[in-house]
Amino acid sequence: MKKFVLFIVIQIIVLQGIAAQSGGGDFLRSVGKIYSVVAVIAVIFIGIFIFLFRLDRKLTKLENHIKNE
Amino acid sequence: MDLIKVKDIFIKELSIEFRQKFALGGVFLFAATVVFLIFKSFNEINPREWTILIWIILLFAGLNAVVKSFLQEKKETYLYYYTLFSPIDLIVAKLLYNFLFLCGIFFIIILFMGLFSSFPVKDFGLFAIGAALGIFGISVVFTFVSVISASDNGNATLMSILALPLVLPILLLLLKISAVSVRLLTDTAIAEDVWLLFGVDSILLGAMLLLFPALWRS
Amino acid sequence: MVVKGWWWKFSGVIIFLYVIIGGLTIPTRSGITKSQPGSAQSGDSISMTVEGYNTHFLSAGLNRAWLKLDSLYAIKAKNVNATSEVDISITFDIPKIFPATENVQPLTLIIDNEIDGAFVQPNSLFVTLSDSSYSDKSQWINAEMKAFNKAKGIKFPYRNILNETIRNTFFHVALWFAMFILLIIGLYHAIQYLRTGNFDHDIQSSSFNRIAIMYGIFGLITGSIWAKFTWNTFWTTDVKLNMTAVAMLIYLAYLVLRGSSSDHDKRAKVSASYSIFAFLALIPLVFVIPRLTDSLHPGNGGNPALGGEDLDNTLRLFFYPSIVALILLGSWMANLLIRYERLKEKIFMK
Repeated sequence: MKKFVLFIVIQIIVLQGIAAQSGGGDFLRSVGKIYSVVAVIAVIFIGIFIFLFRLDRKLTKLENHIKNE
Repeated sequence: MDLIKVKDIFIKELSIEFRQKFALGGVFLFAATVVFLIFKSFNEINPREWTILIWIILLFAGLNAVVKSFLQEKKETYLYYYTLFSPIDLIVAKLLYNFLFLCGIFFIIILFMGLFSSFPVKDFGLFAIGAALGIFGISVVFTFVSVISASDNGNATLMSILALPLVLPILLLLLKISAVSVRLLTDTAIAEDVWLLFGVDSILLGAMLLLFPALWRS
Repeated sequence: MVVKGWWWKFSGVIIFLYVIIGGLTIPTRSGITKSQPGSAQSGDSISMTVEGYNTHFLSAGLNRAWLKLDSLYAIKAKNVNATSEVDISITFDIPKIFPATENVQPLTLIIDNEIDGAFVQPNSLFVTLSDSSYSDKSQWINAEMKAFNKAKGIKFPYRNILNETIRNTFFHVALWFAMFILLIIGLYHAIQYLRTGNFDHDIQSSSFNRIAIMYGIFGLITGSIWAKFTWNTFWTTDVKLNMTAVAMLIYLAYLVLRGSSSDHDKRAKVSASYSIFAFLALIPLVFVIPRLTDSLHPGNGGNPALGGEDLDNTLRLFFYPSIVALILLGSWMANLLIRYERLKEKIFMK
């Protein structure tokens, strides 16, 4: 559950960034809005990285548990 | 399914409910208070708000009431039931009881709403069919969720967390049907929505009947 | 249902790379973004200034243009004059008499050259007839309409407003498909758990469901980014969007349910039943209700999105592999979760 809250918070920050960008220089709208595609791919990768990071931490905890036994 | 046993459990539920008059009164008082509060704050309730409010009041009053129905009994009582009845009988009786109870709350809400403001329904048949199907769907979801939360150490918070998202599809259809029945919207294909609601109800009912025996064993 | 070996993980990565590289490098076809004026009187001689997208008006040897009335009748441009690669001005003599008697006639602009191929802008000129009492077709042609050039190379279709974001099909839309497949795998394991009582099925079911929920949240976020650039808002009242949001709420409740209970056996049983119930509640939500109401999404209300004929063969070349890749990657991630849970099981159950 925490994972998703964290993920959504991060995404909201990212989206706010995008909103600020598109309000100003229209960077993300340039070249036929191609950067929105890049943003979408970035979201997928950020999501997968968060997943990997959390799994890594869980595994470390498990390893420590085994070591302490 | 044994109809006599279903009837027995049903009557037992009813008698428990009427023995604890304060609980029953509490639910009705809740409905009346909310309606009065809404009447005082809106002063004039137009049809759009009317249709939305009756369902929301029903949802929360019903949630309070149904949580009790499974949580009021102890583990030992369940063990006793387990030896006595088949799970299908039990769940059907509970469902029927919840359905009638929600209908009762619904009538009281309508009554109070009519008393304090108005009764804007134009197409009464559609409204009645939609309401009956919708309340049935809501009671299926509530019964199922109360079984889940009862088998999970009687957690009442869990009940509302699980139940509210699950009733949303039913509620959205209901809002549309009742909006048509008070002539807020005109939709010639509203029969399709009624059938859809019926379909959703029967899918959920079937799922519950299939899943309950497995849950009941624990 | 754990597949042995590494080949499927490897192929998932390769296919996803193929989709990203191909999906980003293949250009979109040419199109018309703007044209002026939007309306005219019959009998006028008008000069239209047209702004193209991805066009090569100057490099192309011969630009040709038509205004098309319907499948039978069209008029050819009198004069076509390219001012830059993307700007062109076209002069038309609009006939006085139309082969139709409706008062206002919408005309479709077609431009054709040997580099970009032929491309159209529907309803680009509305002509008001000065005399609609009788129809005559003598000034209308259809002969030369057949000699269109074909665009060179593989290209994605051009859609107005969507522009390059048509590539998001491979990521956003494919995510939903992959989510559904993963949910079905999770459902299968939930049913298996209830039938056999084998605890391993519970682990698998919950892992697949978790990854599917993750995909669902990706789908909502990527969808709202895409919406920002096409419909200019992060969140709309669109049914499909809101129904999927409800579906995500139902599945988030599933995660709460799994987190709430400490009793192993009970948790498994309860969450398996809930996930079956939730999946059944999902079907009308995602497939039936949106069909009954107007939606901005494909197949509803004729808006510039993808659906039916819009999903053309070039898009299919990447869309289906993308679904496969996302399913494979999702199963890989679920697999990691499953192995983690199994280890935890082994250590804590001792």
